[in-house]
Amino acid sequence: MSQQTLADKVGVTRQTIFAIEKDKYSPSLEVAFKISNVFKTPLEDVFTYE
Amino acid sequence: MSMSYKEKSLIASMGVTLLLFGWYFYGAFSNLSLNQEPQLSTIIALIVLVIISEGIIQSFLALKNKPLLEDERDKLIEKISYRYSYGFLSACIWFLMVQILLDTWFDNHLILILTTPFGIFHFLLLFFVLSEVIRFGTQLYYYRKGI
Repeated sequence: MSQQTLADKVGVTRQTIFAIEKDKYSPSLEVAFKISNVFKTPLEDVFTYE
Repeated sequence: MSMSYKEKSLIASMGVTLLLFGWYFYGAFSNLSLNQEPQLSTIIALIVLVIISEGIIQSFLALKNKPLLEDERDKLIEKISYRYSYGFLSACIWFLMVQILLDTWFDNHLILILTTPFGIFHFLLLFFVLSEVIRFGTQLYYYRKGI
């Protein structure tokens, strides 16, 4: 899935998806849940807390 | 290094602000005309120039790039940049207030150029412009560095 597709599904910009992937931005809980819903996987499989 | 539409837009706004107000302050400070009454026509021309330049550059950028809606990251970065900008402006205004009080307490013996009415006008304008530049700069920094 492209960054733009994911961004459109989640309702953020492509730059925000890029920043999340590069560990330059920690999304809000709402966006984190939306991303995990898109991939249909539990939140803890998509994000880890360090 | 590729730049997003938002970064290009911020650089354009900062460039216009620095260029036009820089030109104004260069004239005001280099001729030591801080004590002189600011020409109303010059101030109006400056504001009109800023609006026109911003309009042209932002329209050009919007044509070349797809403008994006703001999301939570944009809003967070904007909020942080306003905080820095506000902090700087507050410090500058306190500085100016102390200068005015010192001037009064010492019976104009410590008279400084910035405690004259037109001096205050020019310095307030300078502080507002600098706080805007800080706002643009902080946003650019966080877009690059991450937040």
